[in-house]
Amino acid sequence: MTFAYHRPRTIDAFWDTLAGSPGGVQLLAGGTDVVVGLNKGTTVPAAVVDLKGLDVLRSDIAAVDGRLRVAALNVMSDLIRDERMRRHFPALVEAAAEVGSVQIRNRATLAGNICNASPAADTAPPLLVYGAMVKILGPTGDRSVPLRDFFAAPRVTVLEPGDVVTAIDLPFEPQPRGSAFLRVTRRRGFDLGTVSVSCLVARGEPARFAFGAVGPTPLLAVDESGVLGPEPGEPAAEGEAIERLLEVTSPISDVRGGREYRAAMLDALSRRVLARARERLERGAVGPG
Amino acid sequence: MGTSLHELSVTVNGQLRTLRVPPHHTLLRMLRDDLDLTGTKECCTEGECGACTVLLDGTAVDSCLVLAVEADGAELTTIEALADDEPLDPLQAAFVERGAVQCGFCIPGMIMTAKSLLADNPQPSRADVVEAVAGNLCRCGGYTFIVEAVLAAAEAER
Amino acid sequence: MTLRPGSPFGESVPRAGGIARVTGALRYAADLKLEGMLHVKLVHLPVGHARINGIDATAALEVPGVRHVLTAAGLPSPVPRFGPAFHDRPVLAAGEVKYYGEPVAAVAAETEDAAAEAAARIAVDYEEVDGAYTLDDALARDAPLVQGPELRPDDPLARTNVLREWRYGWGDVEGADADVVVEDTYEFPMVSHFAIEPFAVVAAVQDGMLTLWSPIQHPFVLQRVIAEVTGLPMSQVRIVVPDLGGAFGGKGYPKYEPLMAYLALQTGRPVRLVLSLDESFQASRRAACRVYIRTGVDAEGLLRFQDVEADFQIGAYADIGDRVVSKASYTATGPYRTPNVRIRARSVLSHTLPSTAFRGFGVPQLAWALESQLDEAARQVGLDALEIRLRNLALKDEEFIPGDRRADGRWEQALQRAAHEVDWGKPVPEGRGRGLAMGLKSSATVSVTNAIVRLHYDGSVSVLVGTTDMGQGSRTVLGQVAAHELAVPVDAVRVVLGDTSVVPFDTSTSASRSSVFSGNAIRLACEDLCAQLRSLAAELYGVAEEEVALEDGRVRFPGHEVTYEALLREYFGSSRGELLGVGRSRARYLPGHPLGGAPSFWEVVAVACEAEVDETTGEITIHKLVTVSDVGKAINPKHVEMQDEGATVMGLGHTLMEHLILDERGLILNLGALDYRVPTAKDLPKDLRTYTVENGDGPGPFGAKGAGESGILAVSPAVAAAIREAAGVEIRDLPLTPERVWRALRERDGAAGPLEQAARV
Repeated sequence: MTFAYHRPRTIDAFWDTLAGSPGGVQLLAGGTDVVVGLNKGTTVPAAVVDLKGLDVLRSDIAAVDGRLRVAALNVMSDLIRDERMRRHFPALVEAAAEVGSVQIRNRATLAGNICNASPAADTAPPLLVYGAMVKILGPTGDRSVPLRDFFAAPRVTVLEPGDVVTAIDLPFEPQPRGSAFLRVTRRRGFDLGTVSVSCLVARGEPARFAFGAVGPTPLLAVDESGVLGPEPGEPAAEGEAIERLLEVTSPISDVRGGREYRAAMLDALSRRVLARARERLERGAVGPG
Repeated sequence: MGTSLHELSVTVNGQLRTLRVPPHHTLLRMLRDDLDLTGTKECCTEGECGACTVLLDGTAVDSCLVLAVEADGAELTTIEALADDEPLDPLQAAFVERGAVQCGFCIPGMIMTAKSLLADNPQPSRADVVEAVAGNLCRCGGYTFIVEAVLAAAEAER
Repeated sequence: MTLRPGSPFGESVPRAGGIARVTGALRYAADLKLEGMLHVKLVHLPVGHARINGIDATAALEVPGVRHVLTAAGLPSPVPRFGPAFHDRPVLAAGEVKYYGEPVAAVAAETEDAAAEAAARIAVDYEEVDGAYTLDDALARDAPLVQGPELRPDDPLARTNVLREWRYGWGDVEGADADVVVEDTYEFPMVSHFAIEPFAVVAAVQDGMLTLWSPIQHPFVLQRVIAEVTGLPMSQVRIVVPDLGGAFGGKGYPKYEPLMAYLALQTGRPVRLVLSLDESFQASRRAACRVYIRTGVDAEGLLRFQDVEADFQIGAYADIGDRVVSKASYTATGPYRTPNVRIRARSVLSHTLPSTAFRGFGVPQLAWALESQLDEAARQVGLDALEIRLRNLALKDEEFIPGDRRADGRWEQALQRAAHEVDWGKPVPEGRGRGLAMGLKSSATVSVTNAIVRLHYDGSVSVLVGTTDMGQGSRTVLGQVAAHELAVPVDAVRVVLGDTSVVPFDTSTSASRSSVFSGNAIRLACEDLCAQLRSLAAELYGVAEEEVALEDGRVRFPGHEVTYEALLREYFGSSRGELLGVGRSRARYLPGHPLGGAPSFWEVVAVACEAEVDETTGEITIHKLVTVSDVGKAINPKHVEMQDEGATVMGLGHTLMEHLILDERGLILNLGALDYRVPTAKDLPKDLRTYTVENGDGPGPFGAKGAGESGILAVSPAVAAAIREAAGVEIRDLPLTPERVWRALRERDGAAGPLEQAARV
């Protein structure tokens, strides 16, 4: 049940470690998913590579080239405290605050949340509506992948062996917008989401919705019809537009929720989160930071 | 599969300790088994109950979700760092006085979480306290006295 | 009895042992370290019911550091069986796994890692067989039998999974007239104790004594069971009880201690077992229950009859489950005046983990049905929930169960108070509803408690009593009683609990009995001591005993006063010595009584709730939750408040979110903290308050009754009633999760199309 533990100091040392670990490695950042698996015996790696020694992954949240950059080792508590995050990406702050208790938020990294790639990852829906980009460093160089192309299957991303996420970029947008995030859970205390929904509205743009825990991956859906814009439209048309958006989802029944309930909550939350996003836009969401 | 031990140096409650631990041992286990600091409790081992809360470099974390080897070079504060007798730390005193202590098993974790809260936010609102201790389960009580105790301790420290 | 000025009785004295708990110094069972300790891991299978064909420990024994592997083959044959009421539970599974989580082997090794490694290498040849995992499974005509019929040869129920059937009643239900009859079925789920401290046991043979350290509520039960199971005399079995990290009934009766006793005996080394939380979930639970109930009332809402059929799903082994059934169903008709009653209750075995005592002891399950139905009857005759209860509530000294202890309180005061605190009768805010419910539980029936009080040579006092502290603060409360009786400061008294070699016999720490029984035993022991002090003074100073007063740790009589210490010094001289007071509090066995004896008091509560429902998500918001318990006299008011609040929140747990979810193969899908949801600090009602009624009606010191269980008895029906008023939905099974409420709302609205079979969520 034990494993080899490595904590490389440089990215080259990291790749050397991978090369020297034929049995594969488990990457470790905050540990709030990985160590649970290690404790329970559901994750049985030959080697664990601790990423926290890599300076290339560590920095304060920074505004860079029109984006707000969250380094791989930034934790949820960092996000929640960041003023720019709260002003420009409030839905992500809302989601980060629900990831778990304060003890969890003090360790869980944003990068880890998306790399774990649970279909129910709380931060994924807001990241999707904000058009987040995932910066990846691999043996052949850097690349940037839109988050909507990052998830491949439950717990599977497009990362190749040797890849490591270095940051997640959130593009600032010039025009005002409103965004929100909502979940349904089994209790008010911290819980995995039964269903989660995020929404972003802006003038002159189709509304974006993203859904969690209702498909093999977190799902982005864009309202091409334009009905779900900044202004409330005709109820029947709105209902139809939402229904069309939800066609991408495929809720299942599990120990946290039944299929019908999830489907109904998707509809209900979509309406609520749209209303909230519109309200925030109305109140004056901000432009570029 | 080899069980190579890793050497680590960690400052625990102000004292530098050097240990050798296998990589799969959690910080919680190291504290309780290797350092005989049994004040920190083990319950769920999956970060849901908070009974194992300690301060790692001043931040409240579930020690069951940190591998001991990750703590190399870090500063740890456990319940044992607070007073062990009269006069008690204001949090400890308030917990006893306000009826927050029943069986006591959740209490070390609660107090460490509260300690972290008050360090960041010396004048928390009731809602702040509730949010902070939401990751610490108590089965004996209904949390009200615990919240009162934290607010009272904050008041006492002013 | 009058209260002395300055007496600690009735004061909120700080919790004894509080400092040890806030400093982390207190050692719970898992914190104990003995020299040469071996670590034990249990082996269990991912199956609900299986035949074991063989166990191969070869690979396990090859792991370095492994010292011993125990299976049923290593135990006496036939495998020893134990249990508080039925000796049905094998020390280790023998040939058959009867529930998911039943241990089939135990490994003892030098380190935890070695034990875990070895446990994973135990090869068990088993085959899954059909099991009875639900009540319906268990009651089916061709149900797989949980217990072999040969275990109860003269029992007509032996070829069924019904362990026992209990029938109570009076009057004539069939012949009773009623203007309105309501009938319904209610369900209560399996719920886990989830004490924050997982089970842990240490066992060792030391100086010819087999000693077990176990966080067990009833050390003397454990002592007896270990003696029986090992064949050792009780004088060679010692149980030491580290303070418990919560129990709620789940740590009352032996589970893995007999196994650990054998391991200690066979290895000759101290052995230590600490269960994971998941394993703890597989070790104890509350009995699930289905209640079919029929109530008849007249046009004025007065009860004419009640007809109750309750099936309790206990586990694969009886534990104390049948007692839960017999005791709770005896009071199925609650605190009301019901002229004609018929109660039939059954303990039904199933291939599930053994249920045991759980705070409330079967009453929450039955109150859920009774109180909900009473509201239904009220609606049909045009009364509200308060009015129908006031009309039917037994009055003080009224005989509401023929031949039994009469109503021992003005229970209407609790009811009125609860109603008042939620503004009953005043307009309800938009979108909200209110509910009221009551609960009644019988306390301890047959039991005995001894106490020894030692007045040491220096005037300090030790109180030795066999109860245990599982969080309810018995040490504090009992110290207050002794301090009061002996007229000494609370700080001069030390209460010693939980070591069978030191403290005298106590039946159990359960049924909210300790304040009364231990309290009375201590009071009697102190009276004995006080009489000796007076007698000594009379002998030494030539005064009449009646002239001697005891105050402030001194003996006082006209013209002289002397401290207890000085008195003892003068009396004993150079040989030194101490005084011993002995007391016994006992409730006798009554052969004619269905429960073996009348309860020493009734534990009664009234609960009021104001709540609303989110029509879209089904989420319940509780604005107000108030409980009022009739406690006689609060020896430590703060402690009562702490207990009541905890019990109420625990009741909220099973009302809103707690249930064990099993699949069709008997496996529990939501073991552990992640998917078994309990209330956190964020799940509280906006306004949660607990109150007491103290009329001194109890049999304990100063009219005290027991406390600690009432808060959990009637939360569910009060909340459900509030929801019914707020949203017009009637839900008859728990918990009221958002999804279940949502389903009820859809059904209310006649949702188009059939709803899928509800997920178990």
